[in-house]
Amino acid sequence: MKRAIRALSVALAIVLGVSIPSVHAQDAVKIGVIQPLSGPVAASGNYVRMGAEIARDWTNEKGGVLGRKVELLIEDNKSDPKEAATAAEKLIVRDKVPVIVGAWGSSMTLAAMPKLEEYGVPMVVETSSASTITKRGNPWIFRISPPSEMEALGLEKYLKDFGIKRADFLAVNTDWGRGAVSAFGEVLKKSGVAVGAVEYMDQAATDMNAQITKVKADSADTLFLTTSVEQITLVLKQAQEQRLALKVITTGGSSSPSQLIKQAGAAAEGSYHILFFMPWFPEAMPDGKLAKAFVDEWAKRGHPFEGLTEGFRGHDGVLTAVEGIRIAGKADPKAVREALWKVSVMGVNGPIKFEKDGPAGKESGQSKPSIFIVQVKDGKIALPAFAAKK
Amino acid sequence: MDQLLQHLLNGLLLGATYSLLGIGLTLVFGLMNVVNFAHGEFYTLGAYATFAALTLASVNFFLAIPIAIVAGALAGAACERFLLRPLRGQSIDTVMLVMIGVWIAMQNAELLGWGGVAKSVPTPFPTPPVVLGAVSVAPLRIFVFVVSGALILGAHLLLAHTKLGRAMRATFQDRDTAALMGVSIERIHTITFAFGAGLAAAAGALLGPVFLLYPSMGDLASLKAFSVVILGGLGNFAGAALGGLVLGVAEELGAGYVSSGYRDAVGFLMIVAVLLLRPSGLFARAERVG
Amino acid sequence: MSRIALGLGLIVIVTAPLWVWNPYHLHTLIMAGIFAVLALSLNLLLGYTGQLSLGHAAFFGIGAYATALLTVKLEWSPWIGLLASAVLPAAAGFVIGRLALKLRGAYFVLLTISFAGCVSLVSVNWMDLTNGPLGIPGVPSVEIALPGLAAVSLRTKAAYYYLVLGSVALSYLVCLALIRSRVGRALVALRENETLAAAVGIDATHYLVLAALISAGMAGFAGGLYAHYTRFVSPEVFLFTYTVTMVIMVVAGGKGTLAGPVVGAVLFTVLPEALRAATSWQWQMLLYGVLLIGVLFFMPEGIVPAMRRRWRAS
Repeated sequence: MKRAIRALSVALAIVLGVSIPSVHAQDAVKIGVIQPLSGPVAASGNYVRMGAEIARDWTNEKGGVLGRKVELLIEDNKSDPKEAATAAEKLIVRDKVPVIVGAWGSSMTLAAMPKLEEYGVPMVVETSSASTITKRGNPWIFRISPPSEMEALGLEKYLKDFGIKRADFLAVNTDWGRGAVSAFGEVLKKSGVAVGAVEYMDQAATDMNAQITKVKADSADTLFLTTSVEQITLVLKQAQEQRLALKVITTGGSSSPSQLIKQAGAAAEGSYHILFFMPWFPEAMPDGKLAKAFVDEWAKRGHPFEGLTEGFRGHDGVLTAVEGIRIAGKADPKAVREALWKVSVMGVNGPIKFEKDGPAGKESGQSKPSIFIVQVKDGKIALPAFAAKK
Repeated sequence: MDQLLQHLLNGLLLGATYSLLGIGLTLVFGLMNVVNFAHGEFYTLGAYATFAALTLASVNFFLAIPIAIVAGALAGAACERFLLRPLRGQSIDTVMLVMIGVWIAMQNAELLGWGGVAKSVPTPFPTPPVVLGAVSVAPLRIFVFVVSGALILGAHLLLAHTKLGRAMRATFQDRDTAALMGVSIERIHTITFAFGAGLAAAAGALLGPVFLLYPSMGDLASLKAFSVVILGGLGNFAGAALGGLVLGVAEELGAGYVSSGYRDAVGFLMIVAVLLLRPSGLFARAERVG
Repeated sequence: MSRIALGLGLIVIVTAPLWVWNPYHLHTLIMAGIFAVLALSLNLLLGYTGQLSLGHAAFFGIGAYATALLTVKLEWSPWIGLLASAVLPAAAGFVIGRLALKLRGAYFVLLTISFAGCVSLVSVNWMDLTNGPLGIPGVPSVEIALPGLAAVSLRTKAAYYYLVLGSVALSYLVCLALIRSRVGRALVALRENETLAAAVGIDATHYLVLAALISAGMAGFAGGLYAHYTRFVSPEVFLFTYTVTMVIMVVAGGKGTLAGPVVGAVLFTVLPEALRAATSWQWQMLLYGVLLIGVLFFMPEGIVPAMRRRWRAS
């Protein structure tokens, strides 16, 4: 017991010692960024980080915000909600950031949300798709990514063009995958499309042959696939191996079609992808010049082209946060929250403006992002005929 | 019926890869009594070594695989010599924890070195699948199946019919007597661990092209490897080989006919069943080793 | 001298919320406390019976889910939730203990891993019960509502710190009492030489099951504490990394001692956070792995036993 107490005291001393703030540029405006930088979705988290860094550098080139430079404090949530909450706490308490951008996965974002409320710090949600995030009555949440329901509605207008009679689902077994299945399922049923097999795969799974065999046995004409690019690659390759002849539509925006073409090759031919950024046709984006500039800067930094479809989220997230600070006039979390309601700025994805979402009196902010569809044709990305200029 | 055949084929192909993962671990766990949580990391090392050989050194695909195996074996030898040997005699838990440390360090080093983006390994095989009646399979997977089988057979022959193999078995059956008979115990330990690591690296080199490479790819591999080892019986080589196939087929059938979400549960339940009903493994024989 | 040190140490710990002004550090200490209870529970099995359970995260998770479900879906009091978080896993521990009564060593380890794997899959797939991957947000914080007085919410960090501190002390005392009793001696006898113990009439199964039961209950209680602190429970509580962390704390701290797991818990909760503050995210875990290897290399029997040896030698 003595040892325990002694050790505890030593630990407390270490903790205190570590609380001496490390040297940051004293007058920089700090924005927290929480992303999964390790683990199964490390690629996506890193792309978002790279996009965030571009936004930071562009902002600083233009003089920063409030006359001060912007600094990003980047934390890894390791795809673990506990880490996400701890990272949020550290950013808020130790680093005193006025706003955070994060945390990619819905579970991570949900875990960090109580901390936001506890300390009163707003967070710009750049990727998470679970609808509960904005419906839980947390007034510190401002989401620029579409919840699955919005994404499914975005698909609705193309349903006739796709000519789907019966669809199967294969989704990653997380809130994202399940949310997509339920949201798209609703939209399909409303339009009279039958839903066949609904299969799930573990986030870390590499062999989906069993699920594909089951989908093959169901006589559908379309497969909705919701997961990140690594698993999509594997599913497409394994589907090719089993000679699956369905039309594939991926949802969620993490499909990185360029990477798919590189890694899945012919297996990706003909597949459709719902995205929130089309780096192959930047002119077709709401702000063509900004989109093109982003694509060029990304290439200049030597980042892989495939990462653009997710990297823009980091850019738009930081852009929103910076705009909030600018309107607030000071790097104070409560002021920034007020200011975020007044933000109306053009991001790479399109216009960002928040509307109220959730229970009255405690609404979260939800923006209405633009949604696009592309297709892999002849080994290249093309706008499907029916989607060109809609 | 077609569905069943395809499931069975999937299961066998998957199972072959599990077998490969298991035989390396059964040596280390079964013979050396080391709970090697870093087994999956040697698997990952083999995969990345193949990738490096192919993309950085532009080596022929069929040469890259042996290179990866050697890389894995060397890493294993170094691990044994510098970490395990000084700790010989310590409790199994301490050693296990050291291997956990190696696991964490290796995986994060890979993350640091290669980044988190998944890499794909270019192969010389055509992609269109080979059609066998109602089922189809990619040529690459046939290659992997054949090579896995060859490796398993080769390892078995080494253990059962060579002087080295005899020395290894002797050391782990009765260390002191083996020493008296002139076997260099230290060397055997290093060689055995290196052998296990090399086999894991082989699995990685073969499976890397089938799937994708990313730093945490070894975690699932470790878990499956342990399952296979238990199914086959600790230290039971042939048991691990067969156990891998059994696990693969069971998982496929479970995922196909019960539920894809609970797919891994099939493996777990099988382990529980084996442990409770036949703890020495499904294929236990009189002789525990080999 | 040592009495004074002991007293000072106690004062330091008990008054921590007053002078640890940074809530983030207090957060770290609270997490360390929860892990201390976990480590103590694992130590009961590993240190005193010699059986390693690598599925302890399952009991932790069952406890967390038990209290989350009871307090969110049925809206029962968090105190009942906390009680359930100890009782339910204890029941599970009883079942596991009885099932595993034939198994020892590596086989027991793998059984526990499989059990944890199954429970984890259930939490992800049984949407109706557990909400699946979305988890259960909005777990209420613990309140003390004595009749006649206003309810005191233990929502603030300082208050929760004391709750956790009390739990650690309670767990420590339970372990101490158990070890010192006949049960404890029987467990040690089993660990040292099971055949001999059986020969003198010690019923291995009975004591192992008892140890498993208490160990699981304690781990579950830690889960309950976790649930009411983070107020969000998702299938990630069954992540293997939690089990690994627990094992690190017990073995590196010193298994078979009571101070070891506590020391290990504090050290290995503070360490990653210190690394997070000191280095960038790329190096945090790499250094953690290296440091872990280092600690074990130089103190293979654990930190506490190593220090005791040094104390005795000097």
